[in-house]
Amino acid sequence: MPPRPRRRVSAVAVGLFAAGLAAQARPLPPLSDAAFAARREHWAWSPLAVVEPPGPATTHPVDAFVDARLAAAGLRRSPSATPSTLLRRLWFDVVGLPPPPEAVVRFTSDPSDAAYERELDALLASPQFGERWARHWLDLVRYAETLGHEYDFPVPNAWRYRDYVIRALNHDVPYDQFVREHIAGDLLPTPRRGADGDDESVQATAAWWFVEQTHSPVDAKKHEADRIDNQIDVLGKALLGLTIACARCHDHKFDAIRADDYYALYGFVRSSRYVQAPLQAVDPAGDGYRAALAAQRAVATAWLAAAPAAEWAPLRDDPAALAPASGVGPLRAEDELIASADGDRADWILTNDGFGDSPWHAPFCPDPEALAPRLLSLPGPFWLSAAAGSGRDGVLQTRTFPLTQRYLHVRVAGEHARVNVVVDGLHLVRDPIYGPLHAKVHCAEAHWLTFDCAPWRDRPAFLQCLDQRAQDLADADQATRPYPDAAWLAVQLVVLSAAAEPPPTTANAPLPAPGWSEPPPDVRTALTALAKATAALPVSPTIPSLGDGTGVDEHVFVRGDHRRPAAPAPRRFLRALDGDAPLPVMAGSGRLQLADRLLRPDNPLPPRVLVNRLWHHLFGRGLVRTVDNLGALGEPPSHPELLDWLAHDCVAHGWSIKHTLRLLLTSATYRQQSRRGDAGEVADADNVLLHRQNVRRLEAEAVRDALLAASGRLDATCFGPSIELPHSDQIEARGRPRASGPPDGDGRRSIYLAMRRNFMPPMLQAFDLPTPFATVGARSVSNVPAQALTLANDTFVHTMCERLGQRVLDEAGTADDRLTRCYLLLLGRPPDATERRLALAFVGDVAVATTDLGAGFADPRSWAALAHALVNSTEFSYRR
Amino acid sequence: MPPTRRHLLQRLWHGFAMLPLAQLAPRPLAVARRDPDGGPALVRHHPPRARNVIFLYMDGGPSCQDLFDYKPRLAADDGKPFALPMEPTQFNDNGNTLGPRARFHRRGDSGQWISDLLPHLATQADRLCVVRSMVADFSEHTNANYFLHTGHGLQGRASLGAWVGYGLGSEAHDLPAFVVLNGGLIPPGGVDNFHSGFLPAHSQGSVFAMRGATIADITPHEAAAAQRAKAALTAALDDHTLLRDGGDPALAAAIHNHELAFRMQAAVPELLDLDGESPRLRRLYGLDDDYEPTRIYARQCLLARRLVERGVRFVELTCPDTGHDRWDQHGKIDAGLRDNCRMVDRPIAALLQDLAARGLLDETIVLFGGEFGRTPFAQGSLGRDHNPFGFTMWLAGGGFRAGTSFGETDEYGYKAVVDPVSVHDLHTTLLWQLGIDHERFTYRFGGRDLRLTDVYGRVLRELLT
Repeated sequence: MPPRPRRRVSAVAVGLFAAGLAAQARPLPPLSDAAFAARREHWAWSPLAVVEPPGPATTHPVDAFVDARLAAAGLRRSPSATPSTLLRRLWFDVVGLPPPPEAVVRFTSDPSDAAYERELDALLASPQFGERWARHWLDLVRYAETLGHEYDFPVPNAWRYRDYVIRALNHDVPYDQFVREHIAGDLLPTPRRGADGDDESVQATAAWWFVEQTHSPVDAKKHEADRIDNQIDVLGKALLGLTIACARCHDHKFDAIRADDYYALYGFVRSSRYVQAPLQAVDPAGDGYRAALAAQRAVATAWLAAAPAAEWAPLRDDPAALAPASGVGPLRAEDELIASADGDRADWILTNDGFGDSPWHAPFCPDPEALAPRLLSLPGPFWLSAAAGSGRDGVLQTRTFPLTQRYLHVRVAGEHARVNVVVDGLHLVRDPIYGPLHAKVHCAEAHWLTFDCAPWRDRPAFLQCLDQRAQDLADADQATRPYPDAAWLAVQLVVLSAAAEPPPTTANAPLPAPGWSEPPPDVRTALTALAKATAALPVSPTIPSLGDGTGVDEHVFVRGDHRRPAAPAPRRFLRALDGDAPLPVMAGSGRLQLADRLLRPDNPLPPRVLVNRLWHHLFGRGLVRTVDNLGALGEPPSHPELLDWLAHDCVAHGWSIKHTLRLLLTSATYRQQSRRGDAGEVADADNVLLHRQNVRRLEAEAVRDALLAASGRLDATCFGPSIELPHSDQIEARGRPRASGPPDGDGRRSIYLAMRRNFMPPMLQAFDLPTPFATVGARSVSNVPAQALTLANDTFVHTMCERLGQRVLDEAGTADDRLTRCYLLLLGRPPDATERRLALAFVGDVAVATTDLGAGFADPRSWAALAHALVNSTEFSYRR
Repeated sequence: MPPTRRHLLQRLWHGFAMLPLAQLAPRPLAVARRDPDGGPALVRHHPPRARNVIFLYMDGGPSCQDLFDYKPRLAADDGKPFALPMEPTQFNDNGNTLGPRARFHRRGDSGQWISDLLPHLATQADRLCVVRSMVADFSEHTNANYFLHTGHGLQGRASLGAWVGYGLGSEAHDLPAFVVLNGGLIPPGGVDNFHSGFLPAHSQGSVFAMRGATIADITPHEAAAAQRAKAALTAALDDHTLLRDGGDPALAAAIHNHELAFRMQAAVPELLDLDGESPRLRRLYGLDDDYEPTRIYARQCLLARRLVERGVRFVELTCPDTGHDRWDQHGKIDAGLRDNCRMVDRPIAALLQDLAARGLLDETIVLFGGEFGRTPFAQGSLGRDHNPFGFTMWLAGGGFRAGTSFGETDEYGYKAVVDPVSVHDLHTTLLWQLGIDHERFTYRFGGRDLRLTDVYGRVLRELLT
């Protein structure tokens, strides 16, 4: 073996090396003010230009802009596509489904502009519109219903976000409102309410949680840094068309974004928490809630009045005894009070409504289910999750505090409840590493929980107390496990201490049983009244969402290394758009102010990004081709005036997405044919100037949905929990759901299929459904054998074709009519003479000769074979 | 006379070959030469030394101290408190020093240390280029799996095999460039370990299952004649509409793709038919071994050779299930090591001999290893926890120096202390041998020119002949 140089490294260097910080990454010099100002000149930062469409006012404004550019290049717009081509294009683009034969017949017999607009308006108003366009948005927020990583834990109720987006698009919620809800939907003073009274706004914040989460990360802060990196990346690309996350390790290499811009945004995310928010929170100050509390107290009074046990007499005689001292002695020198039920209300953060809005004072908590009061030897005030009766979600949290001592003591009582210590924002509190930060509560007597936090000394943390019915991120499998109604949790005191022993408490003799076998009539009456009052409060479904925590800024991390915090980065929006002053004093995270700044009227990016995305989905390419990056590395707009005019127009029309879509869809530019002509191929080979429409492969969802629609299997039901996948031989891995789903997805549209990070639907993946890890505004359009194999051999495809074979046999009488029907259903047009000859020869002759394809014109199998051949033709999976 | 189908396609290809194929690959490589089959670009930065890679992926992280990294001090300190500071571990249940679980011997002319757990592989010691100083960035399986496969610890990037397939394409006209032979255990993180990420989907790993249907949708639902009849009709209708409505590169590519799919459909059964392999070779691989995991892995290894023979660029093998949760021996380490070694030992030794005998080893890189190693101190009493700070991988063939070792860990086999090799360095060197300069091999996504190696990586010339 030849001698070679040996490179001996120190142990420290090995650590750094292993953390991916090898010296090979060269530091970049900071961005100077002059360079920053120069970058600020990039077109995307500049205000929207005020322009008027060129040419006569009677011309459609979109055509006016496009025609002017074409004319300058000596080109002309192509003629309109044939009616059937146009209708098929319109249906796929607007609702993601093929036009039904009746619509084809209707429109081809009257292809007037008025008829076109009737079709268009009906489609924009249909529920299927939202199902189509929501999927475009889900690509931007990397929608998935699981956390990925080793076990692919489900995020309970994540699917409700998908429904939220569909509803928002169908109702044409103004886009600025939609954006505001995504940033601060949980904080709006008057949230938007759906027809059923549900809080719509809060549901948008679920998008923050479609982020991969590591199972038991060795370094929780690193995990937080990686998570927030992804969350900022999505915020930047989806809403602003900026690659802000490129400024994590250094000032942005190309854009006017500094590292402190990135860390200023980091603070907003860091100050927010994961909660399962109720869609219909009950106001603890409202009449219903008050009535339940009063009924609860009436039970207590009735119970005390009737209780024969002598030990209860003092309580009866002395109302003050209902709220005696906590039984906790004075704290020791080594103790630090974090939060106490009778202390500062600001030390607690309450989400959901189970805990009410004030602590509870009573030595017991009646339980209507058990028809007997549940004894609570927890004297003194405490937070009670069942304050308004069982059945309400309760989540009680503390403010964020540093773990300056080793031990955390929490005084609790409860059943089917749990307490988590969330360190560095790590909500996934699970074994093996974080097991010590999780405790179950299943003891009705007051007792102390003690957490040994030695490995996390000085890390920021907060306490999360949940009764069983409330779901946390770490307990995702709760969703599938029934929980008892008797769940409740009482929390009194949180103490940080150097001592392993909790603070001393006076002995609490358990209160004796009431001394009756059946409650007396007064108590029963009171219990019945309580049950009624409780039942009158709606129990709301929940959705993963953001909740406000303690407001904390982050520091700039030197070269992105979370172990090297440098200067503080106070929370604010991007300097290039909003100056570098910190946002004024904020309560909680400050996201509401962030939303205001991001949506300030002089920020040109949100409307530009929006209209460019809409354009992309109708023409196959944005006016700015790099739809997620309008920065220096993106491409400049092909029609800058048109882009800005559209942005202005959209804002002027109340940020209406449907308005802008309608405008684009009525243009002659949209309606022109896609056929290539010689002149255009020379002067505008890439079709940048839009001398024709573009041929586009259908998206994965449209391919599958078209098969469902054509075969008649489509179940048009909207909304609801996702449909699980059938199991397959190719994909067995950890976290696969136990139950196999229906092979045809119950006929539901593809947007309702379960999006499990580690088990994405293979058919959709073959047709370029993106991996849900980053914003994808422009899907790749690939061409892989898996696509052809799917269409050729997949059982689902065959099943659909068999249905279609039967369908054309049932719905039409002659071979000719059946053939026409088959073409209309699959391709949205009748066959021409050549196709008719080829296809009839196949059905009547070739298929018969090839015995297993059927026996001819009267055999559904022969028609299924024809349908299958058409499904495999390129025309089926492309829109022209 | 109407133009034939072939004419039509040729006209479409040649007519539009100069156009940027925006519909197919938004950002083709600047250096690319387009594969005539409509496949991916072909990258050649310098003359390649190897054509193919077989990645024997040891899911879970084998304990190198028990297999390759001989440390007398570890044996001497067995049962004593561990003498070095310990990094945080996945389970934080760290015990005393745990000595090697088997005896080591010098093997072959090169005198490489290999333990008794791998007797067959030991006979191939002179073919191995052993890297004893690997380091990785992650202690958690999924992150470490993504990191080893994609150069990045989170989901969504392109796998090494996908990069190779994207850059070099497949030499087979009837098989994809990147094939995963799934022995039964998809590693934590799922099929995203083999994904194309932001690269065009054609470069993603095609997973061939060893149980049930080998490839999704590879088996026709009807007789060959019936399928041919349908395909003929589809082709005739496609030709007709292209002529009538005008062509488009996207449509032409889709037609081409259908043809590749049909070729694959025919090629796969032929690939899987091992009847032509000699009884001697079957025995050598262990195809008829008593132990089922060995039989499965033997079939995977033999198929890997057959795939490479047919021009598939990158073949990755995942492990069959031995009932010990992969190579992840947090406890019961002796039983786990015994069964896992039994599973892979004979088939891998056979693969190396078979490749060499056919002259394929020179141009095929065989890579063996897991996402990290294991701690030299115990987890509990008889387990080892995850250790990314120093572990062993080995390479054979493909221009790697045979019969050598590179790098060293400390005297316990805990951390790499001499010539640490990062995963990025490994990726860089593999690409280099395939004729690719990792710094010039980029793909524009989300505003950045992304590389397999991020901003890291150096060619490990010390490992190369």
